[in-house]
This record gives sequence, C-alpha cells and structure tokens, in this order.
Amino acid sequence: MLNNYETLLLLSPELAEENRKEILTNLTGIIERDGGKITLVDDWGIKILAYPVRKLTRGHYVRLEYLAPGALVAELERNVRITDGIFKFVTVRLADAVAAAPAPAAEEA
Amino acid sequence: MAFRKKFTPKRKFCRFCADKNLPLDYKRADILRDYITERGKIIARRITGTCAKHQRSLTTEIKRARQMALLFYTTVHSTDVKKKTV
Repeated sequence: MLNNYETLLLLSPELAEENRKEILTNLTGIIERDGGKITLVDDWGIKILAYPVRKLTRGHYVRLEYLAPGALVAELERNVRITDGIFKFVTVRLADAVAAAPAPAAEEA
Repeated sequence: MAFRKKFTPKRKFCRFCADKNLPLDYKRADILRDYITERGKIIARRITGTCAKHQRSLTTEIKRARQMALLFYTTVHSTDVKKKTV
C-alpha cells in the first residue's frame, strides 16, 4: 500500500554544493531501498526565512515527492534527524494521488 | 435615518470555495499571508468570510508554514526585526 508523500527540507545555507547533493542522494537512497519511489525533487534554492533559524536568516529549501509505504516515513525522518545540516523538515501526505497509486496493484491481485 | 437602513456592507465570501483552483497549501505563503494580521495572528473567519471547512484547513496550513519558517510566529523574532546574517 503506497501513499503519496512530500517532505520539505530546510537545509543550512552554508552547506557546500557537494554536501547538499550527498545528503539528497543519501535520503533518496533510503526511499528507494525501502520500496518507495521518488516522483519529484524540487529545489527552491536559497530563500530568506521568516525568522532566523539557528541564527541564520537564509535557508536552502528542497522538496521531495515520493510514493512510499507508511513505515518508510518514520525511517526517513529518523535519518533526517541524524543528518547534520538539515535545520527543519515537514512531511505531508498528499491527498491527490493516494487513490491513483494503490489502484493498479489491487487489480493485479 | 432612512439612508442608514439602505446601507448593506459588501457581502463576504469564501475565496477557496469561489475559486476551486486557488491552492490552499502551506507552501503558498503569499496566499496565506492574506489570512494573518501584520503581527502574524490568524484572522477569524467572521472577519474574512472563509467557510468553516476551509478555515479548518487554512489554520493547519498556516501552522505548517510557520513550522518551516515560511511565515513568522510573531513579529518580535521575525527576520525584519532581527539582524540579518549570511
């Protein structure tokens, strides 16, 4: 049973390009490994924050959209918490494609 | 006092009901900003005219946006007030 989720990450603006790539490949790797499927990686770039986070007023936003079983979200968030350079994150279940994703699987069975 | 009876204020309506394509999303801080005061407080639906259903989700989305530093909680600690870095 796959659901459509999105995770918005707030990364440190001081991270180097390659460090940021490394974090993202690590996270996408976790999603792929546990039976999820990445549908979109949306890079917002560096934006000014509404309030300072860890005394920095800028942050790099990256949004991940993926299909995943519910248990994967907990595993992903555990890894996000461990990773250095991620200031904030929020995971939201998207309503739209929830019905679309599990439907083909049900037909096969 | 006849003129006072005739006066009817402009009818309020729910913007999210009127326009189904208007996204109600924590990522769209530009739209959410219409529903908070300049001090960052969520405006009551009796003022904005939003319907109960949309006001409920609006509140959630505003709180999510605050969590991700897309909107501020209060002006006291907002970037405009605090010294800018980086």
